[in-house]
Order: sequence, then structure tokens, then C-alpha cells
Amino acid sequence: MKSWYLKNVGLGLVALIMLSGQAAQAAAGDCPTKGVKELTGAGSTFDFPLFSKMFDEYNKLCGVKVNYQSIGSGGGIRQLQEMTVDFGASDGIMTEQQLAQAKGGPVLHVPVTAGAEAVVYNLPGIARGAIKLTPDVLADIYLKKITKWDDQHIKALNPNVSLPNLDIAVVHRSDGSGTTYIFTDYLSKVSKDWSDKVGTATSVNWPGDIGGAGNEGVANQVRQIPGAIGYVELAYAMQNNMPWALVRNKAGTFMPPSLEGAAAAADVQSLPDDMKVMVTNSANQYAYPISGFSWMLIYADQKDAARGDAVAHLAWWMIHDGQKYSKALLYAPLAPAAVQKAESLIRQVKVANKPILAGN
Amino acid sequence: MGAGEKIRLIRRSLVDKAALGFMVISTVLTICVLGLILGYVIIQGSGYINWSFLTSLPTPVGEGGGGIANALVGSLIVVGIASLMAVPIGVGAAVFANEYRSRWLGWFVRFLADVFTGVPAIVVGLFAYAMVVQPMGSFSAFSGSVAYAFLMIPILVISAQEALRLVPNSIREASLALGVPVWKTILRIVLPTCSRALMTGLLLAFARALGEASPMLFTAFGNSFWNVDLTKPIATVPLVIYRYAVAPYDDWHAQAWAASLILVFIVLIASSLTRLAFRSRLDD
Repeated sequence: MKSWYLKNVGLGLVALIMLSGQAAQAAAGDCPTKGVKELTGAGSTFDFPLFSKMFDEYNKLCGVKVNYQSIGSGGGIRQLQEMTVDFGASDGIMTEQQLAQAKGGPVLHVPVTAGAEAVVYNLPGIARGAIKLTPDVLADIYLKKITKWDDQHIKALNPNVSLPNLDIAVVHRSDGSGTTYIFTDYLSKVSKDWSDKVGTATSVNWPGDIGGAGNEGVANQVRQIPGAIGYVELAYAMQNNMPWALVRNKAGTFMPPSLEGAAAAADVQSLPDDMKVMVTNSANQYAYPISGFSWMLIYADQKDAARGDAVAHLAWWMIHDGQKYSKALLYAPLAPAAVQKAESLIRQVKVANKPILAGN
Repeated sequence: MGAGEKIRLIRRSLVDKAALGFMVISTVLTICVLGLILGYVIIQGSGYINWSFLTSLPTPVGEGGGGIANALVGSLIVVGIASLMAVPIGVGAAVFANEYRSRWLGWFVRFLADVFTGVPAIVVGLFAYAMVVQPMGSFSAFSGSVAYAFLMIPILVISAQEALRLVPNSIREASLALGVPVWKTILRIVLPTCSRALMTGLLLAFARALGEASPMLFTAFGNSFWNVDLTKPIATVPLVIYRYAVAPYDDWHAQAWAASLILVFIVLIASSLTRLAFRSRLDD
């Protein structure tokens, strides 16, 4: 009895020591080890509110300045291809053609967050969440088939709302955008008309109206134009107190955009190892249908040992400790399954064929 | 005096008054537009300007507060380096075309400079991206300076040529007659004589570059942190104004206005200096 007790206490102590050792290692493992003090990244505006918070904290933690410029996922992919940045960020998956044009070889898509896209509108006097939209109606609005707010299709969904006789100003992205990729991927899934006529891409041939640069630009346009409708990452809608519509998900529930809804959508049973997965129009009953992962784009073969080391450590920190900044900005933290996949992707980052983070 | 002559006189005076009235209205409109822009920028921007705005770094998106200290310093560095590159080239080209005269060379250089001023700033930025950023494999303050230098050179060439033309030939001849070599005449006599007019040109070019955002989009790129390393991306004021102005945050709009006011202020100081330079030249 006594020996059993001692043995267990001993085991517990060993476990405790191991744990604390691991914790110390993890904290040290978060910072670059080869003296790099600044990194440059570019791309997704979807991620920008989260990234700018994360990188501000990362600078406090490691003294490493990660300069992230939100030029849009299309721009981020382009600059990664040209190797003018240390990493890119995109909410759309790079196409075969885009991958072939990447001068630095294979590109890893490391998931760093998941988020929801709010369908925001500017209707004086109509509150947040007051308007309900079905997938067809949303697609028809963006196809310019429905052009007035008091159209019978919108009225039928919102019998208790006094809809104005106002033209719908459709606002979309003017730049290459992962936010657009998620949005058009969703519309393609729910509307055959959309997938036939427009399709899914970071930049499409829009049936109508007004372009804005970045999530910033779309949010700004919608705020300026009465009758406007647009799609922006939830953080932008929240930070600017913009009203958003409830969108009916696949299970039939009208959902507001939320981090829980995005997390439910991202909760896929069998995530692929390369994590190139679109989670729009999820069948999960709690899912918000216009949700998606966002990825950090990293070259698998890093040319510069020190910079590669810094990028890998940054990515490692972002998928672990960095996740704690997600919730306050309404991004969905990565689920353990996604973190695992992301870890194994980051372990594939190599310099001269040697994995950078083999130890972690 | 015949009736016909009287009518003609009345007609003339009417035409005179109409022309004068038109000119007065044009002048007033011009001043009004300028006043409106200045007034609006002052009204919108002055509320936000304080010491912390000028001395602190930007905060994370949506948190509010923060300043443009890094962009102010960045702008001065990028435009400063650009001036160092552009002045020898611009003034050198003008001296060569003007002092070592051939019939067509001066005209040709002037023609090229005129064409060059018509090149959109964004094209200059893309050119610097292809020439500097891609080969270097990184956005950098230096590439921004190259882009600005390309904008400044034609302005400098044109203004330097005008300045050199102001120097009376008799002065050159006097110097040459005393046996002073041509190069020494240029350095010691011609350039000092028109130095204030040259300065005017430099200030014009400086002011032009200081306010341009588009050449910075793919060169200096922007930076949310401090940077004084020329090989790294750097923040500049016009780019910050552009980014903040299109964003949805009211706080950023206010900061964009305030930053605009600061830019206007710097340019105003530059042009006041220009005026001073002009005045003293006339006083001489």
C-alpha cells in the first residue's frame, strides 16, 4: 500500500517535472532562434484585425516585428509567388496555376484561424439581425435579379420588417480576395445559376455594382451608401457596429454570423492533411454557412535558414498561444484536430531539406 | 461723335467689363477651391492632432488611438534619400543640356522631362517594383526612394533649366574672358548665381514626392512598426492616409485627416521657403 502510494506520488512528480519542462520549452520555442528581428507578410484583409493584434503581442513577447500589410489575398499570393514577402495569407485556396507560378516551390497552407463573413447592409432604421435571407435570395441579389429592398422575395422572408423602396447597391471586392473566394464558393454551392454564370475565385466577373478594396473598402462603401449590401469578415462588422442579416444554413436555421457558427462549420469530421478545405454551406445545424478557414502561406523549402526559422516559429506561436486573441475579435480558434494538422504542416517547413521544428 | 462710334465704344467697354468680370470670377473660384480644401482639412484634421499622435506608433486594428510617428519619420527618410539621388541627376542633366549647348540637345532633354512629368505616379511605382523590389527580393525604403527620385528628376530638370536661363550670358562671358575654364565657370559662377531658383525647384520636387501615395504601394509598402533600415519596408504618411481613408473605422478617418493636415503643413512650410527664396532673388 505504502509503496503504491509512493510510486504514484513519484510518477506524479515526474509527470509534473516533465510538464513544466515542456511548458518552458514551448514558450522558448515560440520565438525565432536565429536572431531575426523582423518579418514581412502580406495578403488577406479577412485576417487583418486578428493578425495586427497577434503581431502586436508577438512583438511584446519576442521582440520580433512582424510587418503585415493587408493588401488582399490575391495580392498576398502574388507577392509570395514573387518571393518579396516572408509569408502570405489567404482565405482562398491557391489554384494549380497559382501554385505553378510560385517561384519558391511548393506552398503550404497552414490554417491560422476560421471566421464568418457577415452579410452587412445599410438600411436606415433597420436593426442588426432584423433581415433574414435565404441562400437563393442572397444569390439572386448578387446576380442582380433582385434589385429592390421591397422585392416580394425579401418581403416574404421578412413580413414584419417595413422594407424601403430602395435600390439594392451590391458591394463586392475590387481586388483579388479570399473573402470573395469564400463568398463565391458559398454562392456556387447554393445556386446553380451562380456557379454557371460566375463561379468561385478570388476575383470574379461580378454581375453588379460597386467595388471596394479590401474588407476595409467594402465595409466603408456599405457604410456610405444607403441601400447597400456587402460581405465582410465579422470583425469588421462588429468593430463598426454594422447591421448584418441572418442567413439560412443548410439545416434550415436562420443564423447570425458568429464565432460559434464559424467554429461549427470548421468542425469537419475528417480534415485533409493539407488542410485545403472549404467549409461553406456546412450541414452542421449550428454552423453559419458563409464561414471558412484562413491560411498562412509558407514555402515548404525556405531559402534562408534564419528567416525560415523565424517564419516557422511565428506560425507555431500563431496556431497555439496566438489563438487566445481570436475570441475577442470574433474569430473562431482552431479546434484541436485542426491544430494537429497545422502542426504537422509547420513541421514540413525545411531549410536545405532539414525540418526546422523537428524538436517540437 | 457719330452714333455708330458711340455704340462701338459702349460695346468695347462692355466686352472689357465682361472679360474683367470673368477673370475676377475665375480667380475667386480658384482661391475658393484652395480655401475650401485647406479649410476642410483643417476642420477635419485639427481635432486629432496632439503630441501623442505625432510621437506614437499605430495600434492594432480597431483599438483606436495611436499615431503616425513612424510614418512621419519614414516619409522624411524616403523623400530625403530620393532627393539625394535626384538632385545630382536632375541638375546635372540640366547643366549639361544648357551649358554645353547644342541646338537640339537642350530641346530634347526638355522634351523628355516634359514627357516624364506626364507618367502617372503609379507607373513609376511599378517600375521601381520591377527594377528594385523584385531583384532585391524585398520591399524596402530604398525602393520607395528610387520611385520618388523618378518623380522628382523631371521636375528638377525643368526647374533647373529655367534657373540656368535666368543667368545672363554676360556673366558667363566675363568669367570665360578672365580665363576661367568652363567647368569652373559653371561651378563657381553660374550655379551660385541661380542657387535660389535651383532651391525653389528642389522644394517643388520635394513637396510633390512627399504627397504621393501610389508609388509607395509596391515599394516602401508600409510598416506598422518603427523602421529606419533602408532595406526593409517602411511606413510613409501618404500611404497611411490612403489606407486609413478607405478603411471603415471612424478613428482611422480622423487620423487620415490629421495626417493630411500635417502633410499640408509640411508642404506649406516648403512653399513658404520657396517664396522666401524667390523674394530674396528679386531683392538682389
